[in-house]
Amino acid sequence: MDFRLFCTLALNGIAMGVVYAMLAMGLILLIRAVGVMNFAQGDLLMFGAYVTSSLILDFELPLYLMIPVSFICFVVIGLVFMFTIYWPLRKASYPAATIIATMGASIILKELATLIWGALPRSLPPIITDANGKPGILYIGGIPLQWQYVLTIIVGAILIFLIHMLFEKLYVGKMMQAACQDSYAANLMGVPAIATISATYIIVVCLASVGGFMIAPIYMVRNTLGTLQLRAFAGVVIGGFGNIKGAIIGSLIVGLVEVFSTVFLSGYKDVTVFMLIILFLLIRPQGLFGGKIADKA
Amino acid sequence: MKRKFSPEAIVLVSLLVLFIIITPRVLSGYSMNVVNIALMFAIVAYGISVMLGMGGQLTFAAVSFMGGGAYFMANMCTDRLGINMPTLPALLLTPVVFAGIAFVIGLLLLKLSGTYFTFSTIALVQVTYAFYNNYKPLFGGADGISGIPTLNLFGYKFTSYNTWFYVLIFLVIIVAVIVELIRDSQLGRSLAAIRDNETAALTMGINVYMTKVIAFTIAGALAAFGGALWCMHGRFVGSDMFNYLNAAQFIIMAMLGGVNNTVGIFVGALLVKVLPEILRSLQSYMQLIWGFFIILLMVFMPTGLAGLYEQIKANIKHKLQKKREGAGQ
Repeated sequence: MDFRLFCTLALNGIAMGVVYAMLAMGLILLIRAVGVMNFAQGDLLMFGAYVTSSLILDFELPLYLMIPVSFICFVVIGLVFMFTIYWPLRKASYPAATIIATMGASIILKELATLIWGALPRSLPPIITDANGKPGILYIGGIPLQWQYVLTIIVGAILIFLIHMLFEKLYVGKMMQAACQDSYAANLMGVPAIATISATYIIVVCLASVGGFMIAPIYMVRNTLGTLQLRAFAGVVIGGFGNIKGAIIGSLIVGLVEVFSTVFLSGYKDVTVFMLIILFLLIRPQGLFGGKIADKA
Repeated sequence: MKRKFSPEAIVLVSLLVLFIIITPRVLSGYSMNVVNIALMFAIVAYGISVMLGMGGQLTFAAVSFMGGGAYFMANMCTDRLGINMPTLPALLLTPVVFAGIAFVIGLLLLKLSGTYFTFSTIALVQVTYAFYNNYKPLFGGADGISGIPTLNLFGYKFTSYNTWFYVLIFLVIIVAVIVELIRDSQLGRSLAAIRDNETAALTMGINVYMTKVIAFTIAGALAAFGGALWCMHGRFVGSDMFNYLNAAQFIIMAMLGGVNNTVGIFVGALLVKVLPEILRSLQSYMQLIWGFFIILLMVFMPTGLAGLYEQIKANIKHKLQKKREGAGQ
């Protein structure tokens, strides 16, 4: 393998890893906040990709208008998601019920997308294009790198960093974490659980949807994008449940392993990724970074 | 169904008899095919019921074993590998072989608990799907394997869907009875204890690990059996059936009818397969309605239709001031 191919693959792998990390981070925020494993995470990404692409292709909004409008959409989606899938089920007697409900949500999101935007995949032009409308390419030391991948990494990294800061450093984030760990006590202290949980859901939807928007030009907007969530699950498992840092590194590993194994065993790339998880689970079930919160979901 | 001749059991049996008598006379061709597939799926869903309903362990692995059973059957009976077994011994061999395989896999995966175990089964589905979809010598790759002989029972070949129906309903009843026997056995009670409180079960001296492994083995064997029937019934096996989305569908099927209720599983499997066909005019909205239905069911009745029935029954009994039956769960 020559160096240029290696660089291109590494870039693709890291970009996909960042998208998985955005999904995985959302998953962990939800596990921490409400103890629910979300099986509709990938479909939130898919829906976000559809919403943003629709704003660009159908409403022809420029980027600076598209961002605030789509943000409003994500807030609405997040609130609706929370009040339908989580809120009525928060005291469910059968633990599997909440998980099955998210599976139902996954079906609904997929079908809604198909009903609204049709079954055919839509193509969204990359954010940076060259003069001929082809995907823009960045040359670093003679190595061609697609701008879309580079931007995905930049945007994803900034978002992940900001949300990490929010939860770890800011007072609001600490409040939210407290509310998550013991909502009863937090309520007594004057932290409204419903507000913090809503905020968590909105953040999760934003993370997933932005990921969808960034990879839409690469994968096309289609309703099967939801299956990407399985790789995010893989990242979560490798990193250890409940550990955001671990999940990010785990997702990057998944992205890289996936891309490089595509070169060597094209049809079997899923085998390498998911055998890796099974091995990880068997040898080191607590993940790379051993989560402080054991199996809570 | 503890008491031998409760009115409930009589109603159920007579409904079943009616179902057996009427269905093959009314339906034929495509619609019969749908019912038959529902029956085969019910066998797989019974496996999930043992794991999820009795033991509380969420597993996606059913489609892996179902695929394994189907491909095993296909390879044994089509002369692809130079083996040409008669169909009946091959069909009976499948659950035995896959009980063994499921036992070994269960020994590994059930070292994990709770969500970790669920994830490992998702990973298993992905791995097996990739192999089913790509490895040509054993699984025929994306083209699948066609030309599988149909079931040959002592010289009688089951060629029409209507004759298949009788075989399948017979097998479903046998499997249902086995599952019902397991529920009342020591294994079933151990599983229930593990579901309700694993630590408490451990303290009571239950071998939690082995109990789960045995449940996983039973689920695997049933899924493989269903898969073997499925490939003989359709005369074809392709990898599409064994992906993650279908794995989720099986779990929904089991949850819908009532994951811990033998009759409920049967009804759930029929509903999931047959309802979309009946409401074909609503086709484009069907899946959407389906999704809403699942969520509503989980919100209001997490124990499925069987739970709904139990609750209505309890209400009526309460109103009639009759003696309440203790079969609540």
